[in-house]
Amino acid sequence: MKAKETIIPNPEPRASIADPSRAAASVIGISKRFGRASVLENISFDVAEGEVLVLLGASGSGKTTILRIIAGLEMPYTGKVILHGKDVTELPARERGVGVIFQSYALFPKMTVEKNIGYGLRIRKRKRKEIRETVNELLSLVQLDEHRKKYPSQLSGGQQQRVAIARTLAYKPEVLLFDEPFGALDTQTRHHLRREIRALLKKVNVPSIFITHDQEEALELGDRIAVLNVGHIEQIGTPFEIYNHPATEYVATFLGAANVLDAVVRKDFLEIGSAQIPAAALDPEKFKPGDCVKIIFRPEDVSLSRGDFLRSGLSRISTASIEEISFVGAYERVRLRLDRAEECRTDDTPYYLTTETPERQATKSIIATRSKPEASATRLHVGERVVVALTSFTVLPPQRTKST
Amino acid sequence: MTASLALAVLAISCLPKPAGESGDLTITLYGFSIMKESLEKAIFPGFRAKWKQEHGQDVQFQTSYAGSETVTNQILQGAPAEIAILSIDRDAQRLKKDGFVTFDWHSLPAQGIVNKTPFIIIVRKGNPKGIRDFSDLAKPGIRLIHPDPVSSGGAQWSILAMYGSELKKSEKESNDQDKPRALQTLRAIWKNVISTPGSAREARTTFELGNGDALITYELEGLLMKEANAPIEIVVPQSTIFSEHPAVMIDKNVAGGKRPVIDAFMQYLWSDEAQEAFVKFHFYSTTNDAFNQANPVFGHIEMPFAIDYFGGWDRAYSEVIEKIFRDQVQRK
Amino acid sequence: MSTIVSSMRHVRGFDVARPLSIGMLVFMMLPLVFLPLASIFIFGTSNGLNKFWGALMAPEAIFALKLSMATSFWATVFNVIFGLFAAYVLSRHNFWGRNALIVTISLPTAIPTAVAGFALLLLWGPYGTLGRLLAPHGFQIMFTAGAIILANIFVTFPLAFGVIKPVFDTMSRSLEEASATIGATRWQTFWHVTLPSLRGAIVSGALLTFARAVGEFGSTILVSGNLAGRTQTAPLYIFAKFNEGQIEAANAIAIVLALFSFLIFSVLFFARDWLDVD
Repeated sequence: MKAKETIIPNPEPRASIADPSRAAASVIGISKRFGRASVLENISFDVAEGEVLVLLGASGSGKTTILRIIAGLEMPYTGKVILHGKDVTELPARERGVGVIFQSYALFPKMTVEKNIGYGLRIRKRKRKEIRETVNELLSLVQLDEHRKKYPSQLSGGQQQRVAIARTLAYKPEVLLFDEPFGALDTQTRHHLRREIRALLKKVNVPSIFITHDQEEALELGDRIAVLNVGHIEQIGTPFEIYNHPATEYVATFLGAANVLDAVVRKDFLEIGSAQIPAAALDPEKFKPGDCVKIIFRPEDVSLSRGDFLRSGLSRISTASIEEISFVGAYERVRLRLDRAEECRTDDTPYYLTTETPERQATKSIIATRSKPEASATRLHVGERVVVALTSFTVLPPQRTKST
Repeated sequence: MTASLALAVLAISCLPKPAGESGDLTITLYGFSIMKESLEKAIFPGFRAKWKQEHGQDVQFQTSYAGSETVTNQILQGAPAEIAILSIDRDAQRLKKDGFVTFDWHSLPAQGIVNKTPFIIIVRKGNPKGIRDFSDLAKPGIRLIHPDPVSSGGAQWSILAMYGSELKKSEKESNDQDKPRALQTLRAIWKNVISTPGSAREARTTFELGNGDALITYELEGLLMKEANAPIEIVVPQSTIFSEHPAVMIDKNVAGGKRPVIDAFMQYLWSDEAQEAFVKFHFYSTTNDAFNQANPVFGHIEMPFAIDYFGGWDRAYSEVIEKIFRDQVQRK
Repeated sequence: MSTIVSSMRHVRGFDVARPLSIGMLVFMMLPLVFLPLASIFIFGTSNGLNKFWGALMAPEAIFALKLSMATSFWATVFNVIFGLFAAYVLSRHNFWGRNALIVTISLPTAIPTAVAGFALLLLWGPYGTLGRLLAPHGFQIMFTAGAIILANIFVTFPLAFGVIKPVFDTMSRSLEEASATIGATRWQTFWHVTLPSLRGAIVSGALLTFARAVGEFGSTILVSGNLAGRTQTAPLYIFAKFNEGQIEAANAIAIVLALFSFLIFSVLFFARDWLDVD
């Protein structure tokens, strides 16, 4: 039986939007240098109307720099920024009409909430009546009516953030830019706010770009996610795509736990250890027989059973012995050691194998998770031997197996 | 709140208008410290009245007082003085040297000397330390207030008085000037100096506040103090110098249109009216000795002398003030 | 004494170090600060309030006080504006010679005030390096109220700057960036965002400068010409009266100056919460 597999051929840097002129915001070919060091390389993506795009990356990946370049607080070395069809690359920040929500919120400390929100209109010299009405509207939108006369220092983090958002919405920005907005908050508030903000953004229908290093946040917030790795984009896609069909090992491991195994391409199937998995859908251009490739699968894609009987839709890859079982509340995490060594080895070793002692490097260990019902249905014990099968996996083409 | 703040700001931001500014004639006079009373209480009002009567104009005086040397230095630095009354002729010469004074004041009445006064010693009431003459100031335990010769003309007069009096006394005794003895006395006296304020007036104030046992100063200071019922006594030495105070016009600073009134004022200084006024303030008149008889409280000086005893200010300054006092008394 | 102290230490709840150290503090301040200040007040009123009031109301005295206020006011205005500008430039921009400039701004406090006054005379006096070029055209600033303002500016130069710059240094850049992204011009950002945050520093810098300028003596006496009723500030007046032997008059004005400084520093102290940056 065939396993569900998806093959991602070289991911397009500008996925999803075919026509750039219809995008709300576009970034084309942005690069940035600090001295000799290249901080950003060939960054390009679009944001559609009303869409929330998340730039996800570790610190130092350049995501903040991209945000600042779009905002106009920094100049790119090459490339363009286009907002609603207008090339703003040469324009200073104040002429771009962007709304930035800073990590520290940057609320003006000597102004009340109302004055903060009305600031953008005041400096545009709008009439007092207009300002008053807009401020009232926004206050009820973010539900801060009772706090209108307070000063920022008297508000909680979440409230400050809402003021920051309202402040930018007042002048109808082309795009909203959020710089790690949930960093300063506790987990509880963070979860709560994420949902609120997302709802709010959908309501006002302004395209938004979030930057974060938290993958859970990215998955929850974004309509699409762009994963950044040291200055370049590794993949852009919906949360589903990114999570289930990572284009590179980096993306896979950044988005959550991932197991990586070597496999060899053969005619019509993949050889994983001693197992053979049918893989007729592989693009013959990219996958030549004899190529050493990597397959990636999530712990939840692993199915364990005692016997050789397999349900339909599963691909058996190996037998394994159970090394460790941990109870993690909602599910059970099992660490298994596969029996057979793999045929081809690459230079990179997934990091969770580095604790292995030398003589054990020949065999691979993987992580599987089992849901509560499954765990109670079939109780497993350490030392037991089981059959490992996959419900789904992704194959990385040979030249993309290099992680930075 | 902001209104009252604005009002306060407005109040302090405005520069005050000096009294009687527009339209009046002003004469700027810089004088050495002890001239203040006589000028402001008698001379200025007298001249004002006279000028008003003759020309129908009001005259205002701008004044500044300090030690004579200080006044001279200020003028040399550009202070806008039109007339200067100084304590020592040497200061006037300094002004001449730098071109501030172009004419020779010695051609004026009384050789440009406005008034004079002898140098005496002031002691506490009852004269507890028993001081009778300059040489008594050399006694151990005497604390002397003496103005600073660098800034005060009166200080230089005082040194000449002390030194000269010793010379005079030795002359009387042995028909010869005993310079070593004079130097010795001067040295001993200077050891007793506890404070050297910047001007004669300052020295007087210091003494009045209770510092020191004795003060060498212009006689008129002592007389003014007695008039104010200060608990002091005046000790008139056997021999002492008469200080002579020149008045000069700083023509460099005088605009053409002002010449008439300035000239008139200078002339006024030697008028009988002014000279009599000076005597009332215990200065000696330089024009008419008869006026001096009118003042009953002047002390009697047995052997008075003047600057010409030393051969003029140039010689006095270089020989006594510099070579003897500065090099041999102060430096030791 | 030491035995008593050490046995006290074993008594629970009573720390003798506290009253002892407070007492020592007050005791040290008595002869150095309290008594000299008190003596002015005692002496000034000892001759009766009539004389005190009379001395205060003398036209020359009032003129001197007004002159001190006005010249200090303008020197303060200039130095606060300059201090703001200098703090902005030196805090935001890095350039070759920046540190040297910062040190130079702070120099005037290290220079004796008499030297400062003299230097000004040498430069701007009628026979000074620059003054002699201007004098023929009728410009002579020395010996006028303008010279007093100039001297005050020199002597109090770094005071407001020194108070304002640290606030600039610690101010978050993101506030200004936020204002820029919202659409404000540099001037609008400065006016609406930067300035309000500097409010406290500006006020305390201004008060400090003003108080210092009012008391300035060493440079004023040289550059003003010390003309009574024309260019004589309050400190100069006090000095002149002292020299003339009019101690009561000198004292009256001294009391006014002392009270005034006391007022300024009380304001600074009690309003410091309002003055503080958030």
